[in-house]
Amino acid sequence: MKSKKYTLVLPLVMLAVSGWSQAVQAAATTAEPAAQQLSDIMTIILTVAGSALFIVAMIYVVKVNQFLYKKVLQLEAQKSGAVIPEEVPAVEAAAGDDFWTRMRKQYWEDAVPIEREEEITFHHAYDGIRELDNRLPPWWVNLFFLTVVWAFGYMYYYHWGGDGLSSTERYNLEVETAKKELAVALAGRANAVDESNVTALTDGSSLGEGELIFKNTCAACHGQQGEGGIGPNFADEYWLHGGGIKNIFKTIKYGVPDKGMISWQAQLKPTDMQKVASYILTLQGTNPPNQKAPQGEIWKEDEGAAQDSTSTAPETLPAEVPADTQ
Amino acid sequence: MSNIQQFHYDNRISRAFGMASFIWGVVGMLVGLILALQLVFPSLNFSENGFQYLTFGRLRPLHTNAVIFAFVGNGIFMGVYYSLQRLLKTRMWSDKLSWIHFWSWQVVILCAAYTLPMGFTTSSEYAELIWPIDLLITLVWVVFGINMFATILTRRENHLYVAIWFYIATWVTVAVLHIVRSFELPVTLTQSYPLFSGVQDALVQWWYGHNAVAFFLTTPYLGMMYYFLPKAANRPVYSYKLSIIHFWALIFIYIWAGPHHLLYSSMPDWVQSLGTVFSIMLIAPSWGGMLNGLLTLRGAWDRVREDPVLKFMVVAVTAYGMATFEGPMLSIKFFNAISHFTDWTIAHVHVGALGWNGFLTFGALYWMWPRIYRTELYSRQLANVHFWLGTLGIVFYAVPMYWAGWTQAMMWKEFTPEGTLAWGNFLDTVLQIKPMYAIRALGGTLFFVGVLLGVYNLFKTAQQGSFLADETAEAPARERLPAKTPANEYWHRWIERRPMQMLLWSTILIAIGGIVQIIPMVFIESQVPKISTVQPYTPLELTGRDIYIREGCVGCHSQMIRPFRDETVRYGEYSKSGEYIYDRPFLWGSKRTGPDLWREGGRNPDLWHYNHMMDPTTTSPRSIMPPYPHLAEQELDLSSLPDKITALRKLGTPYTRDFEKYAVANAREQAKTIALHLADQGVKDEGLENKEIVAIIAYLQRLGTDIKVQPTVSE
Repeated sequence: MKSKKYTLVLPLVMLAVSGWSQAVQAAATTAEPAAQQLSDIMTIILTVAGSALFIVAMIYVVKVNQFLYKKVLQLEAQKSGAVIPEEVPAVEAAAGDDFWTRMRKQYWEDAVPIEREEEITFHHAYDGIRELDNRLPPWWVNLFFLTVVWAFGYMYYYHWGGDGLSSTERYNLEVETAKKELAVALAGRANAVDESNVTALTDGSSLGEGELIFKNTCAACHGQQGEGGIGPNFADEYWLHGGGIKNIFKTIKYGVPDKGMISWQAQLKPTDMQKVASYILTLQGTNPPNQKAPQGEIWKEDEGAAQDSTSTAPETLPAEVPADTQ
Repeated sequence: MSNIQQFHYDNRISRAFGMASFIWGVVGMLVGLILALQLVFPSLNFSENGFQYLTFGRLRPLHTNAVIFAFVGNGIFMGVYYSLQRLLKTRMWSDKLSWIHFWSWQVVILCAAYTLPMGFTTSSEYAELIWPIDLLITLVWVVFGINMFATILTRRENHLYVAIWFYIATWVTVAVLHIVRSFELPVTLTQSYPLFSGVQDALVQWWYGHNAVAFFLTTPYLGMMYYFLPKAANRPVYSYKLSIIHFWALIFIYIWAGPHHLLYSSMPDWVQSLGTVFSIMLIAPSWGGMLNGLLTLRGAWDRVREDPVLKFMVVAVTAYGMATFEGPMLSIKFFNAISHFTDWTIAHVHVGALGWNGFLTFGALYWMWPRIYRTELYSRQLANVHFWLGTLGIVFYAVPMYWAGWTQAMMWKEFTPEGTLAWGNFLDTVLQIKPMYAIRALGGTLFFVGVLLGVYNLFKTAQQGSFLADETAEAPARERLPAKTPANEYWHRWIERRPMQMLLWSTILIAIGGIVQIIPMVFIESQVPKISTVQPYTPLELTGRDIYIREGCVGCHSQMIRPFRDETVRYGEYSKSGEYIYDRPFLWGSKRTGPDLWREGGRNPDLWHYNHMMDPTTTSPRSIMPPYPHLAEQELDLSSLPDKITALRKLGTPYTRDFEKYAVANAREQAKTIALHLADQGVKDEGLENKEIVAIIAYLQRLGTDIKVQPTVSE
């Protein structure tokens, strides 16, 4: 059959429609940020309207296509004098189907009923396998066209003119947005713990949590009891990067990359770093077995005036601990 | 019609491939089951005392290769050799070639079964086999092609049935894929470096890997479906028109979809987008096959309830439909951001492999076996039990894996209100899904038991019947049709009479996608922006990298940090394409059972790595990674290092002139530094600088560090 050239009309029309609907969407999304919400609604409305129009256009095109196809067959038949067999319809005219069943059979499935199958069976069999000349299921054809249209729309949106972000742009936006949100979220917490104001905790539950964090994250290098291993010993009074709560907190937070101590600020919350630093302080003088040789210099707790933090009311701190860590 | 000829179909060859299929199927699935259990019980890696051959990293490629090339591969040949003869009304052109094909394919499989646990691998997924085996595969494929086309050319049918279109497209595409993926420069008998590096190697790999799925696991099985399903159902194929449209659309579009494995990677955006849109456009052509299969059963659904053969086929075709819808969905960025590197991918491929390939193979075997043995199936009830065990097995496999994949992705991406990762310790996200791994192993066990019952059933069927080696058939000799197209003939009949035209047009169609994507990536330099500080690996790092490849680390660790906030917070700066230009092969990986390693360099001290390799649980309590103590026992083999340097220079890595002469000394020096460093930190092993462990530490400490180097300004 030579109908294929006429079916070519179909995708071309589809493309035109798709280009239009994409342009409309693009126009809608370029609106001012202030009108973002309105533009979102507009986008939805336009998309729905566009889709509806698209479906109507598609049905129309299918109809035109079928009409042209029949005409051509008739013309060719007139020339050659051959008789065109009539197409076997999907639904028997006399069938007692209701409206919706009829619509489904005709416009969704378009399958020749099994009873009239003989009329559309090719006479040749391959090792006994016969083939029917059923029409393509309309829903399948339309699905195919839709995906093609979607593909062009996608390429337009991301590459040929739309507002689609590149991978890098999307990433930068994600990071910027998170930064802003974080600034807002943390704004209320004026006393967020950092190395300048951190104090050692002494209450049992905080130290218990600190111990848990220590066992899970620090013990691999510093030993289960802080005796040292890959990293230095915490049970002696020697410190490589300064003892005392503030220095320990700082070392945990930023790490010492040259010496293999990683920065933990992406993995541990400030309050968690405070707890684990406080726990580490409790290891002083515990004298566990298999201690690593001392490294660094002796740190005396009373050296700096600011070191005397244990005496300043630690009770105020748990109030700052966010609820989700309890 | 006067000159009726008598001839015989060769059932022996189909039987041989059928037996090979289920025997290798049992082996491949058993290895899969072991892998599943290793994730739950790491001690099953048996590596803590230095036994290195059964670790997850070494067995994973064995499992995938066994299932794809041994189980499904032999299944394809069984189906092709059985159906081709009957659809063309002739015996295979040459029995000799058939048997050369059979035995050389089994040799390929045996070679794979030996080399992969030994650690001889290229590390490119589904193309792991080393170059001598690649050559043998090429030979097998040529033999298969000659035999198939000669049979087609000496046929008694005028027209080729749809199944044969699929076989032709399969043959040519697999040939093209295999050859291009095997562009490599041999260094030793067991090692080679690929022609392409980094991003280009990744693109070629997934063009290959994706289309291995398409043209090894899909198109030949569609051909088999078009033969076995209408035969078993005794119903006419629903729509000839649908066959035509979905065949040509499928082979044209499939080839473009490979880059969907590389979304959010360092691949240029335009390539990624092509991968996405062609995957979406693939839904309908894929479903065309499913529709034609399921609609062929119109009027036979009552028999589906009773006939185990049809049951297997219905579930197979349905699984095909589900997998070919899910695949395009996973190609959409939104879903891919979640699914990639997780067990979601594992669930997806197993719906395809267990459901589509597994069940169609069983359906075809249950249908074919009684016929070639001239008897009834030994036990229909047992086949039903097999069916239900298999179906339940798929459910118990897939559901926990979907759950695990989703859970882990959500945990990776979760932030605390303070802006830190909620699950900063990667291991926590692994331990969370361990129960899911256990349920998956149960699902795998169910499926496996079903297969064993199936093998028993086929064995008993064979025992009770008598084998018909040469099946007599009759058909008139082929009368050549007049050159002029008969009036009122379907336009497509023209090409169905011309197998060579079919071959030609299939080749053209499948070539387009690959050419459009790969050629610009290889020849347009601006596609991969250069980074001035990125340098080739040192000889020791290169040696370590080859050990990394040998151990199959890439099976669990990716080297590709995607541009997401959670990944850059967790791992460091996202990966840039220019960083990988000296990576031959690329090692981006496709699954993160462990964390990404691209910015591992400098993150942990050497001693940490040493302890971690000796026993991962000392540095990461409850880790499921196998220990690698043999790395501290095995001598560092630097004998092929000069050849490696020379080979890489030939491929374009800018090692200075004569560098290969100093390479070994250079490596020894770096090894000594690391060994001294380790000794300083308390490692007491003797002769550490001559052990493999220092090489792999050197490599790991180099990973992803080049962009942190300050460029030297030359005024």
